[in-house]
Amino acid sequence: MAAEVANLLLSVIQGIPAGATNDDLTKALSDVPAATRVEGLNILLQQGGIEILKKGEKLVYRAKDPEKKSALPKDADNEEKIVYGIVEEGVNKGIWIRDIRMKSNLNMTQLNKILKNLETKKLIKAVKSVNASKKKVYMLYNLEPDRSITGGAWYQDQDFEVEFVDVLNQQCLRFLQMKRENAEKKRDGPLALKQLSCCTVNDVHKFISDLGISKVTLDEDDLETILKTVVYDGNAERIMQQDGSYVYRAVNLPLPPTGLVQMPCGICPVIKNCSNCGDVTAIKCQYMKEWLE
Amino acid sequence: MSADYAHLCSAIVEQCFGKVSQAVSDCLFSATTRTLSQIANATKFSRKEVGLALSVLIKFRLVCFEASKLNPFVPEYSLRRLDILCLLRYPRYIHMVQTKYGNVGASIAEELINAGSDTASAILIKCLSEGDTKADGAESYRNTFLQMITDHYIIKRPELILSEEQDEVMPKFESNECDYFRHPNIDLQLIEKIRRGEATFAEAGDSAMIWNINYDRFHQDFRDSIMIDSIERKLGENASECFRFILKIMYKTTDPWQRKLSNQITFVDIKQTIEKKSNNLDLMKHLDQYISLLTDDSLGFLRRVGDMGGGLYVVDMEHAFQSLAFACIESVITERFSSKAARIFRVIRFKKFIEQEDLQKEAMIPAKEAKSLAYNLFQEQFIHVKAIKKAGGGGNGLAKAFYLFQIKEKDSVRMLLDICYKSLYNTIERSNFEKNEHKGLIEKSQRLDSIVETMKERGESDEYIAEIVETFTPPEVEILNKVKHRIKTLSKAELTMDQTIFLLQMYQHHCTILPTGIGKYK
Repeated sequence: MAAEVANLLLSVIQGIPAGATNDDLTKALSDVPAATRVEGLNILLQQGGIEILKKGEKLVYRAKDPEKKSALPKDADNEEKIVYGIVEEGVNKGIWIRDIRMKSNLNMTQLNKILKNLETKKLIKAVKSVNASKKKVYMLYNLEPDRSITGGAWYQDQDFEVEFVDVLNQQCLRFLQMKRENAEKKRDGPLALKQLSCCTVNDVHKFISDLGISKVTLDEDDLETILKTVVYDGNAERIMQQDGSYVYRAVNLPLPPTGLVQMPCGICPVIKNCSNCGDVTAIKCQYMKEWLE
Repeated sequence: MSADYAHLCSAIVEQCFGKVSQAVSDCLFSATTRTLSQIANATKFSRKEVGLALSVLIKFRLVCFEASKLNPFVPEYSLRRLDILCLLRYPRYIHMVQTKYGNVGASIAEELINAGSDTASAILIKCLSEGDTKADGAESYRNTFLQMITDHYIIKRPELILSEEQDEVMPKFESNECDYFRHPNIDLQLIEKIRRGEATFAEAGDSAMIWNINYDRFHQDFRDSIMIDSIERKLGENASECFRFILKIMYKTTDPWQRKLSNQITFVDIKQTIEKKSNNLDLMKHLDQYISLLTDDSLGFLRRVGDMGGGLYVVDMEHAFQSLAFACIESVITERFSSKAARIFRVIRFKKFIEQEDLQKEAMIPAKEAKSLAYNLFQEQFIHVKAIKKAGGGGNGLAKAFYLFQIKEKDSVRMLLDICYKSLYNTIERSNFEKNEHKGLIEKSQRLDSIVETMKERGESDEYIAEIVETFTPPEVEILNKVKHRIKTLSKAELTMDQTIFLLQMYQHHCTILPTGIGKYK
């Protein structure tokens, strides 16, 4: 009897996506006594088919997404369900173990056991964050970790791939310079030269993909960050177009190496301490001696 | 004005004018004004010595004097601190005159520089008695001299007013702006007579008109060439030629040392000037494009402000020297730290304020390296940190605060200038040290040279001369050559260093409100 009522209740609740109140249920199933209805609701709650939410003063019953539910095996106990639910909320950003403990109110040993249990069942996984190498975050097993966790294409495990970035930086610069040289060969006036030497991110992306130097696939956003580093190196300019997009173009530095750095004092690490007396003076200076040899 | 600059000035004055002048200038450097007896007291030299030193410094326009406010019969002296550095620029001034006016101009400039200030006839007589340039004739010397006055490279000092009352202690000067570049009357025949000893200087009649090198006219050319060169590097020859003409037009209506912006220039004006004076066909054909190239460029030398007359433009000195000063600072950072550090500096410059975490992401540098580079830059004062504290916290636990990196370019420029002054001082010190260390050797070689010279004149046999030369042993020659090489390297460094100083000083003139003492009539 109660199971039939439960099925009826479920179909009613599923019919109202925002969630059914107690009044809705009494209206829909007016011939069922209140006690049986409560029994039915309890069955549904136990099965995890619905959840109870509080809306103002009233309780609201809402059907759960059946696909989500299926990941967790039927024999999971309550604690596991709760922990799983919390991890699920973290989506692909993951959730830190301390936050799980705060939310679930479980003690550390118990929580560790549950997490380990879920991990062996391949329901959740632990991912190391690039921002803090000690910090592990948990997320559902089938999810692809977010960029902010893995660091995107530039990270191999935890390590930032300096060489990879440097090579890409050089190649991008080479491409921009090539483009500029080609533009200089055509003599169509200065503005045409400028326009021809400009590249969009798409152009660069194509060039880098064709070059085949990257093992991982890079998207245009990745290359935009690389192109920005070329700009920050002072070798290129970022120009905004009328439609709000940016183009890049190789440029020369406006000044030759300045006079100051052509003598050792300009690059001296202890110039602050240099004076007429003491150990650092122009007469005793080792850098100066080597330079004048 | 920093302690480094004080040291540098002291060293320069010593090198040029000797110990007494150095003591006097040191004494004046640390004070706004001093009287003769105060200086004599402070320096422990006699009044006569101090007076002599002061007169030399006044002649070279490094010291000026004014009647004391308390006692109008006592002059008070003050040092023109910023001009002392110009003494080191003399080779550059002469070189520039040489390229503009040839050897005749160069010898005029050289005599004028050596004399500090002098009358026109005295300068010309000195130039003419130099001897080897006689072929050019007195007339060409006079014409070049007058031309240099017309072009403002030479300026007249305020004339002394001769008053009838003899009791006035303080001389009075007539300074009239339109009088500064008026041509003097130069009587070539009289000059010839004076040279032959048939007349005296008193007859020349121009003893009241004393002429000087006009430093800031030279500085104006240096400044222009910095700007034009940087445009050539970035946008090519034609654009730089175009900008040269724009500057020329600008000077017609604008005081060359106007600080921020020039007065407005119309497109028509630029076009007409270039069509008249240039024979660069490509520039004429694409003039509008070159102008828009200049206005669009990130250096920001030229700015469009209106549409009148085919387009109204101003030369943005402030923006120009800001860009150039940044380029200079970045070049120092690249050499001193690494190109990665320069990248970090630029990220901060583009973002204005940025946190450490975002900084390493934006610069694509591993966290550890980025941190160490940023902290190094911070330690050496190239970048600064702004802390924004969140209110609250109230004693329990740390109050939340954000630490943002930022650039205070005015501070960085000043810090860099101080390093330049210190380095320049170091080169002078070091070169003095090298000279002192090998004083005996240098003197010996000079003595030997003069002996050989006189022997040759006397017509002694070559063998005998060779014998004398051999008294200078090979190891001695080797050491001497080494020392000479060192001194040469140091003086070359001095000149290149000055270019950095000049650029940064231009930044201070155009981008700050600091007093720089630069002006059309100094």
